[in-house]
Amino acid sequence: MASVKLTNVKKIYDNKVVAVHDFNLDIKDKEFVVFVGPSGCGKSTTLRMVAGLEEISEGTVEIDGEVVNDLQPKDRNIAMVFQNYALYPHMTVYDNIAFSLRLQKMPEDVIYNKVTNAAEILGITEYLMRKPRALSGGQRQRVAIGRAMVRDSKVFLMDEPLSNLDAKLRNQMRAEIILLRQKLDTTFIYVTHDQTEAMTLGDRIVIMKDGYIMQVGTPTEVFEKPENLFVAEFIGAPKMNILRTNLMKAGDKYYVMPFGAKIEVDGEKGKLLREKKIEGGEVLLGVRPEHIVLAKEAGEHAIPVTLEVNEMMGSELHLHVFTEDGTRLIVRVPTIDLDNEQRENLVNGAKLFITFEGKVMHFFDPETEKNLIY
Amino acid sequence: MAKENNSMQRHMGMRAANAISNTLIYILLIVISVIWLIPFVFILLQSLRVESTWQVGYVVPRQWGFDNYVRLLSTNFPKWYLNTLIMALVTAVLQTVIVLCMSYTLSRFRFKMRKPLMQFMLILGMFPGMLTMIILYRVLKDLGMTQANAVPGLILVYVASSGMGYYVSKGFFDTIPKSLDEAARVDGATRAQVLYKIILPLAKPIVIYTILTAFMGPWGDFVFARYISMGTAAGMNVAVGLNNWLNLDQIGNNYTMFCAGGVVVAIPVTILFMCLQRYYVEGVTGGAVKG
Repeated sequence: MASVKLTNVKKIYDNKVVAVHDFNLDIKDKEFVVFVGPSGCGKSTTLRMVAGLEEISEGTVEIDGEVVNDLQPKDRNIAMVFQNYALYPHMTVYDNIAFSLRLQKMPEDVIYNKVTNAAEILGITEYLMRKPRALSGGQRQRVAIGRAMVRDSKVFLMDEPLSNLDAKLRNQMRAEIILLRQKLDTTFIYVTHDQTEAMTLGDRIVIMKDGYIMQVGTPTEVFEKPENLFVAEFIGAPKMNILRTNLMKAGDKYYVMPFGAKIEVDGEKGKLLREKKIEGGEVLLGVRPEHIVLAKEAGEHAIPVTLEVNEMMGSELHLHVFTEDGTRLIVRVPTIDLDNEQRENLVNGAKLFITFEGKVMHFFDPETEKNLIY
Repeated sequence: MAKENNSMQRHMGMRAANAISNTLIYILLIVISVIWLIPFVFILLQSLRVESTWQVGYVVPRQWGFDNYVRLLSTNFPKWYLNTLIMALVTAVLQTVIVLCMSYTLSRFRFKMRKPLMQFMLILGMFPGMLTMIILYRVLKDLGMTQANAVPGLILVYVASSGMGYYVSKGFFDTIPKSLDEAARVDGATRAQVLYKIILPLAKPIVIYTILTAFMGPWGDFVFARYISMGTAAGMNVAVGLNNWLNLDQIGNNYTMFCAGGVVVAIPVTILFMCLQRYYVEGVTGGAVKG
């Protein structure tokens, strides 16, 4: 239980490669923060600097108000779960979990209680006398979490703990991590490249790219108010559609003109455009696939498109379509909204019309890729 | 049907061919083993010969007994044996520690001169150690560690260059995932604890190998031991001492005793190998990380 504060943290490798630029973040006590980003964005490096496994080139890391830059990992009072589990193969599950406690010279009966308690929470009691090699991937990950749990450390670090599990197990373990978090009630820093994990687990999400923080915010904030194009495209699956189009100001009203259509930017978004005194011109218009709907017929609000691929996902269809100039878009249509005839018409090459409302639009500057209204 | 018969015949044919080639291989291996064992059996039989002490034209003794072994006790042999044992044990301990620390360092730490150091040692290792003999003798003589005091001097010689023997164990350490070190360090272990609680138990076969090679070097050394002891019996090891018995003036009296000495020398090494060989077999890294 502790706050973690990173101030101007930088990581520069010997070969002058800068992995993390000027990272500033305040993590509150008992907060669950997720670092997310594509591979090579510096998220793991940052986590490892907090853990003390990677030297901090510049800046300071504070845990609970104390600068830990020069402390060895063992003196930082942290627990960490690794992507590849990193279980000690020559020890039983029990010894693996007890390892850190024995190093602290705890009495064996205390260790016994702690280990069996953790094992019970994680459902691995029956495997305590096994060696790691006799466990499945999910069980190994539980042991790794158990090993971190028993330490009662100030900060709980997790480096892509679910990446090695298959999809089904990953969903299950994700739910278990949420439960675990409620039980442990400590500060978490969680690294992942999977935006779903980030959205479902984090109190706050730190989205990173090429060593820079792109945005820090709650899952709702980063989803609804992405600060820039990168965040907009990274969060949400399938990713946000981006259309290069014109934003037109007519009196008090704003319109976007994608591919011959003319759609008014009404409601909240229109108001914000007015407040920010946006003049109009070329913009990158972002619309999430689930916010696009199929229009019945051609019209002022409709964009004509051609269907390329129709992915049946079960509860919804992912329609990959392209516009007259070849821009590719994805449209998510709930299966239940379509009658049989409509579904049969969704064959490759079918001509469709799509439309969307003003309130779902995001506007980005084509040059800076910054969000125009947030 | 015919087709089935055909494949059946082919199957039988392959089995027969396999059996023949296996038989040939076994015969070859047995012949090689026998050839390899002949000198050992020969020495053992000679050492048990009582009727004469010189070389004879037959192998199986006419009169059996342990006289030669008893006679060994009244010579310098116990002294040589003790010298060798001390040197081998001390060297085994020191060299193992040095080699393992060196390997761990080169495998896990990244420091400025790491690559140049490794290259330097590689090149240095290409020169035969004998080249240093003359200067080593001068140095040890000035330190008073030659002739009768050859034991500490030789230990110094054996241990001094042991850091260069890191290749095999560093290679093995490299295969142990680094995340195990990191997990242990986060769990509260110091670097030293990581080495002896995590790495060494996982590297058991290599530790055993390192101990064995470190022990065997001094145990069988002849050139340096002979040179540094310079004909003083008190500073000799078994190899040098026993070799003296083969001089023309001594061989008539000491030949069977030489054989007995050879057998006694082989005993600890044989025991050592038999005890430790099972560790060679098993790899122990399964289940550490995903895979």
